[in-house]
Amino acid sequence: MHANGDGIPAKVLVTKIGLDGHDRGSRVVAAYLRDAGMEVIYTGPWQQIPAVVALTQEEDVDVVGISSLATDHLIVPKLMRALRDAGLAHVRVVVGGIVPDDEVSMLHENGVSKVFHPGSSREEIVAAVQQLAEQARCERPEI
Amino acid sequence: MTDVAAAVDRLIGGDKATLARALTAVENAYPHAAELLEALRPHTGCARVVGVTGPPGVGKSTLCNALIREWRTRGHRVGVIAVDPSSPLSGGAVLGDRVRMHEHDQDDFVFIRSLAARTNGGGLAASTAGAIVVLDAAGMDCVLIETVGSGQSQVDIAGVAKTTVVVSAPGFGDEVQALKAGILEIADVLVVNKADLPHAEQTARQLRIMLGLRDAQRWQPPVVMTSGHTGQGVDQLAEALQEHHDSIVTDTPAATQTHTVADLLRKLASEDPYVRHLGIEFITGGSGHASVRMRVQPSHISFNGTCHGGALFSLADAAFGLASNSHGVVAAGIDAHITYPRAVKVGDVLTAGAVEETRSRRFATYRVIVTRSDGATVATFTGTVATVGGARPGAPQ
Repeated sequence: MHANGDGIPAKVLVTKIGLDGHDRGSRVVAAYLRDAGMEVIYTGPWQQIPAVVALTQEEDVDVVGISSLATDHLIVPKLMRALRDAGLAHVRVVVGGIVPDDEVSMLHENGVSKVFHPGSSREEIVAAVQQLAEQARCERPEI
Repeated sequence: MTDVAAAVDRLIGGDKATLARALTAVENAYPHAAELLEALRPHTGCARVVGVTGPPGVGKSTLCNALIREWRTRGHRVGVIAVDPSSPLSGGAVLGDRVRMHEHDQDDFVFIRSLAARTNGGGLAASTAGAIVVLDAAGMDCVLIETVGSGQSQVDIAGVAKTTVVVSAPGFGDEVQALKAGILEIADVLVVNKADLPHAEQTARQLRIMLGLRDAQRWQPPVVMTSGHTGQGVDQLAEALQEHHDSIVTDTPAATQTHTVADLLRKLASEDPYVRHLGIEFITGGSGHASVRMRVQPSHISFNGTCHGGALFSLADAAFGLASNSHGVVAAGIDAHITYPRAVKVGDVLTAGAVEETRSRRFATYRVIVTRSDGATVATFTGTVATVGGARPGAPQ
């Protein structure tokens, strides 16, 4: 079982922002996380940033996973700002998909915790998301 | 140290972040969850709680989406609990119900929360009842619960919802058969969804026949045909839910006469612009008595930060007015007195019950008690009316 230290499953939002509709990867990752015992909110593609912020808040998730295959990672900094403005700075954000090597540091500088490239293994993704969820739980206000 | 009292204040004041965290606390049974629920309970009782269940694939989520839209056009605030199954092997879950409700993601007056059923087998998450308390206290007019797709025996929903909607669809022939064995009994309203498909009318007919086989009951569940996809029939569903809601709030074991008096009083309350302006809701009434309910809004607060005495007076006066006009003749207040022994805060749900104490040909006196949801008396009121007119047109004799 990959529950958090307190026995409570990690809660993860798996989504896509921007105009790219290639959602196979996000579905596969959602299934990986589910099979690892996490609770996954899955939205499908074409989400707007304010909607992702609203979902992150309403569902009180620990980690947001953004799948990006066609340059949508370039609007992730905008999402990071919107999350901070909504008081959700404790939520960890990961990006997976096609991110050119020279743009990874830009994402990290904007607060993205982890970038997964093609070829990332199931074990690698599950372990990283689990660890980030535990960090988010520790920082989140109790109520 | 968690400051539950401060959290309660924020939640009642409409803070979404606190609402979200309160739901998490209840869902995960955090140490302060019980104290939180206890503190929220006085603020509950106003929401109508509607459960939606039925076999997987009949379109529950899409129907919920259309129902939320219908309620929003009626001005209601809506809280949604969407329950999805957890894997019995990994314990994990993919919660996808809200995919079909995404048009409401950015509506400030709709709050959707997904819950995994975890180890609970009855079609709900164990924390559902607590989540309803939280959403009710947060000021939701309607709380909608979508269960995991249920076959026959997942009937937990009837224990927590005030109105249970069982959804079917054409082409689910065997499932319609299955409905009668288990979840048909818990239905307050039956829906044939996907009514834009062939054979919908036939499915509705089968359900009506099955209902006809049951013993006659006070509430006969209607069969409503809808299409969550096109929105067709969803207004009729909202009406059917309203009728069932009205039937439970006036559920008194009295003769038919009382029901007609209650109908008159509900009509008077619904036609009173001042009562509607304050958000006062008629609960029940009969010959010489009436009760009404109000949630204290920020606009009801005085400069002292507590509920304005005038608002409390108005609530008591609404019950007084209805009770004194329950005899079918027009009565007008000529004197009233009120005492406020306890301060009232924003978010408190108050009930005013008026009872007739004396009645002569010309005058009648009433006592009204205003209580909070936790039973505390917050105001007592006495009033006198004079009979000023003849029989009210349309009133029961």
